[in-house]
Amino acid sequence: MKVRDRWDRWAAIDAAAVFVVFDDPDMIRRTMLEGIDLDGLPFPVLVDQERSSYERWGLQRARRRDIWLDPNVYKVHWRLLRAGEKLRPGGTDVLQLGGDFVIAPDGTIAYARPQERDNRPPVGELLKAAREAAAAG
Amino acid sequence: MPAAPSPGDVAPSLELPDLNGVTIALGDLAGRPVLVSFLRHAG
Repeated sequence: MKVRDRWDRWAAIDAAAVFVVFDDPDMIRRTMLEGIDLDGLPFPVLVDQERSSYERWGLQRARRRDIWLDPNVYKVHWRLLRAGEKLRPGGTDVLQLGGDFVIAPDGTIAYARPQERDNRPPVGELLKAAREAAAAG
Repeated sequence: MPAAPSPGDVAPSLELPDLNGVTIALGDLAGRPVLVSFLRHAG
């Protein structure tokens, strides 16, 4: 989670963050949070195994070809392998897409980037949106 | 399924348990900018 690595920049604008996952909590701890001190995380990791929030926020499931024929997926895996990381099983649904949103202090959406394939915006872009929302709020 | 919210829309509700089972609502964080990231699978 790159946001965690640069949390001081989020804290400087009194921003909060929540991360939502849909896999089994034990699997989450063993995979994406492996080696991370959960008590030291500056934000909560919320669990939605039924994916009702994914649906309410309009987050789609990808078509198989949008994941498996996407060269970026293989570039990311190659980068992870070169960095010495191990590839892990894909969880319960590799087609479920996510998304990133920045909520302004007044509760409106300041930034929205629902995924259309396996890509995420740079953390700097999210931080810029949060800074602008803080300044406007 | 509704469309994903766009800038200017009121954020949909969000109230879920964390990894320890403690329920957290987006409304608890009102008044601050909040990053909400929905992640893909756990792998």
